[in-house]
Amino acid sequence: MPTAEKGIVVQIRKINDDIWDMTVSAPVIAGNSRAGQFVHVRVSEEFNPFLRRPLSVGPCSGDFLRLIFIVKGRGTRWLCNRCPGDHIDMIGPLGHPFQLPEPGAHSFLVAGGIGIVPLLLLKDQLPEGTSVDFLLGVRSVSLLTIDNAEIRQKKIQLASDDGSIGFHGSVVELLEQYLHKCEGKGITVYGCGPSPMLSVLKSVCTPKSIRLYVSLEVPMGCGMGACQSCAVSKVDSDGYYLVCQDGPVFDAAKVDLKPEAVV
Amino acid sequence: MSVDTTVRMGGLELRTPLLTGSGTFGYGNEFSALIDYSHFGGIVTKSISLKPRPGNPPPRICETASGGIINSIGLANVGVEEFISEKIGDLPLQRTEVFISVVGDSVEEYREIVSKLEGVDGIAGYELNVSCPNVRRGGLDLGGDREAVAAIVSEVRSITNRFISVKLTPHYPVIEPVAKAAADSGADALTLINTLVGMTIDAEQRRPLLGNVTGGYSGPPLKPVALAKVWHAAQAVDIPIWASGGIVNGIDGIEFLLAGASTLQLGSVLFVDPFSPGRIMKEMIDYCERHDVERLSDLTGSLEV
Repeated sequence: MPTAEKGIVVQIRKINDDIWDMTVSAPVIAGNSRAGQFVHVRVSEEFNPFLRRPLSVGPCSGDFLRLIFIVKGRGTRWLCNRCPGDHIDMIGPLGHPFQLPEPGAHSFLVAGGIGIVPLLLLKDQLPEGTSVDFLLGVRSVSLLTIDNAEIRQKKIQLASDDGSIGFHGSVVELLEQYLHKCEGKGITVYGCGPSPMLSVLKSVCTPKSIRLYVSLEVPMGCGMGACQSCAVSKVDSDGYYLVCQDGPVFDAAKVDLKPEAVV
Repeated sequence: MSVDTTVRMGGLELRTPLLTGSGTFGYGNEFSALIDYSHFGGIVTKSISLKPRPGNPPPRICETASGGIINSIGLANVGVEEFISEKIGDLPLQRTEVFISVVGDSVEEYREIVSKLEGVDGIAGYELNVSCPNVRRGGLDLGGDREAVAAIVSEVRSITNRFISVKLTPHYPVIEPVAKAAADSGADALTLINTLVGMTIDAEQRRPLLGNVTGGYSGPPLKPVALAKVWHAAQAVDIPIWASGGIVNGIDGIEFLLAGASTLQLGSVLFVDPFSPGRIMKEMIDYCERHDVERLSDLTGSLEV
């Protein structure tokens, strides 16, 4: 059940270029959020920019949750200008979370850029003893979406398009190397990132019959299923799913991940 | 001072003048975890068509620099059969008055949908959507023709005694002829306005921001257009006007009442502030207290020109 909560900014820091990491005190939402869910955040005191912004819930600890976001426009610019003590108007947690892996399955968390946010919380919420590899791809070291301490602490393997850090290539290419090593084992892949990356990820997982869950981001209106703005095409029939209500986490086999369907 | 917020029209008594704008409140229960229905006089569902409609290709919503939004949902809905079998139970019939928005491709379709809904108890009335900018048929091409509007209203009137409002487009150069045509054909109210046709472009990508290229423009920037249409229509007809267009606070609501509206539809604002109905009612009551207005409905049409 979603709650409206006025969170209080506890800390906000710049990670890299336009990437910000905000810690918010929001006891109800932090206590109820499961990995993959999102909060709908108001980004102005008046009505311009008009819409709320759907942001994945990042790591939660006690009364606190983290929102890690890229400044893309006026709304996220407003958000990054908040200071400790400021209020953040949030509704959440919303949407369906990631389905946790079957006991004994090996999990790959595959993130592209800012897509790492829900996977950070998933890593924390995986059952104890879950076998997991956590992979993050970025275009370049200067665009890392989390800091080195967290990369080490969560044992995240890196890939960069320009080879400036970690594996030289895409995160999906890095995943393929891992898959080669553990073929035949029960595997679940959890992906979040830009739609072209998710599309390639699906093309790698599908032929190997690997279960793939993806978390999608699309332009959204109400966040509650009422306005039907956040549509993504179904694979097996005409029509659409709603990211806010049916997602944001989907079994990749059921959604059309072609880039023009998801922006 | 206690302000009377009741609105009486066509045999209905609404607790407050606030309604929801069709298409912004789903099938009526999506916001139920957050919304206090007691602030509403009624709700208007999303538009129901004869057959299911999947809606338009995404992306379906974007913002504008002016503080508005443009949507191109394309009247996505489950169709009247599934609406009756699956959604009626979710309607907040016990908590507020419920109006079903109806959209058709033809006069016959409007009749068929309403005749099916006539079998459902508890519905207060219908809002006939003859003005959606996001579909090729049953939208502006019907609503743009006043004979077609008159034919739809007459046909529906002939099969129901329930309340009928007709939702009109703002795209008429003059609203009075179609407003009169709807009123003369048996409409109990007019809803003004539907969204304006709008468009946004990502110049860097050379692409439209909406999958359908154009969509319906709504939000605060629409208010002056809506006020003018409400004002003009109120001069032309004696039936109540349901105002819709950019209301985000109580003073917006008061302005529409002064211009001639009897009820106020909250639309896009619900996406941003699901608690706006309570806030807007409080702000309107505060206004009445400051101005010694005993009944909110006394403000309707009281603009001094």
